[in-house]
Amino acid sequence: MIILVEKLARECKIKSQDLITRPIGRSLFEKAMEKIKMTDKGETVILDFENIKVIDSSFIDEFIVRLIEISSTEDFYIKLKDISLMAEINIDSVFHSYSNYKDKRIAAAREELGRNNKYYIGPLTQEESDIIDYLKINHHSSLSELLRFSGIEEIKIMPILQELYSLRVIKKINNEYYSV
Amino acid sequence: MIKESKDIIILPDRFRDPYTFESVLSMNSSLLESSGTVDMSRIAFIEPYSMISFLLMGRNFLRKRGEKLKLIHIPIHIHQYLNRMDFFSKGIFILTETLPEGMSLKRNPISNRLLEITEIPGKERQGVNVLASVISLFRKRSELILKFWMDESIVDYFVTVLSELCQNIFEHSLDSGFVTMQTYKSGKENIARLVISDSGVGIRGSFEGKKTLNYKTTSQLIELALTTPISSKREFGYGLCQVNSITEKLKGTIFIRSESSSLTVLYNKIEKGKNIFHRNDLPYFEGTQIAISLSA
Repeated sequence: MIILVEKLARECKIKSQDLITRPIGRSLFEKAMEKIKMTDKGETVILDFENIKVIDSSFIDEFIVRLIEISSTEDFYIKLKDISLMAEINIDSVFHSYSNYKDKRIAAAREELGRNNKYYIGPLTQEESDIIDYLKINHHSSLSELLRFSGIEEIKIMPILQELYSLRVIKKINNEYYSV
Repeated sequence: MIKESKDIIILPDRFRDPYTFESVLSMNSSLLESSGTVDMSRIAFIEPYSMISFLLMGRNFLRKRGEKLKLIHIPIHIHQYLNRMDFFSKGIFILTETLPEGMSLKRNPISNRLLEITEIPGKERQGVNVLASVISLFRKRSELILKFWMDESIVDYFVTVLSELCQNIFEHSLDSGFVTMQTYKSGKENIARLVISDSGVGIRGSFEGKKTLNYKTTSQLIELALTTPISSKREFGYGLCQVNSITEKLKGTIFIRSESSSLTVLYNKIEKGKNIFHRNDLPYFEGTQIAISLSA
């Protein structure tokens, strides 16, 4: 499912290209959840930010962070698309603060390469980053292929894959791993 | 402070930057005890931070005394400027003189290197609406306001700063506040200054419930809020940290004053060594006053 955030904002009677403040984040979250409830289990929800210039930390906290938090229990995946430079900086800052203070990391997959030269935003390790890049390029992969590519021992790669799956930045279907 | 006969307070020409304005703030308690007539004849220049702070002084006077400050002998160019910035439209002062007909500064596109003073309400719902209109106006005028600093990202940086600081007013200050922005010339320097101020509970008051934070002075708490994602209401916050990091990217300066303390961070002169300056011995003034400046 693709959610055009600009259109979602218009449905909430917000015409601005800047999405800021907590109340606006809360309104868009409610509207997005109405749509997400209609998706299949395990589906990727692409949040397309085309034409949106600035999203501030309050909006990110109420909209993106809440969607990611609820994605495990509701069984969907979030992927960000067409993120502006400013939005990327602000999302990255919120995700780092969240991860530092909650003792629990948060990250999101993204459609295009960001200024960090990665297909995600958030505080992931180099090993985790390499796996996401590999899956993005190959779309999906078996465990044996990932072991061969990464050179990491099986006993060590399993918790990494489990953590990436828990973070909802990769999918796992029938022992195959997929990019979001 | 100079007191004229009949208890008229004469303001000094100290409205040029946040530091010189301290001498006007030091007159606040005398002002509150005075008859409420202020002579502005000596003022030759007013910059945005001093203007907003003086507006807050007037509002405090009105709240505490139940009457408006009377402004007399305002030089015409100062009167024109304050009128252009919507300083008088807030209903805080009494004017004894009006501008002669045809002397008001025109509101044409050339004079739009500014955002007029706008009140940010203390209530969330109204605050969100006003903030949206301030940001929309800023986007329309940003090419003129930020003419000397223009690149593709600076407007978005300032939208983030405006958003974070204005939200602090209705999220934390328990009062309404004011925002203004202007680019002006000071000597050979062009200065863009964004000012967001309130006379609410102040930074220390806002963090009163957070006993785990380790600081001795209010300026240390301000520094903590700028450099660590702490929040008075939630587990953690991002606002001031993000403002600090953007100001660093833009090589600007941050001045934050709250009650009797201030913190100045100079990212434009970082190569010269120390760039953070604490003060904790200032005259008491309610709330939090913030100026973000760029110079070129």
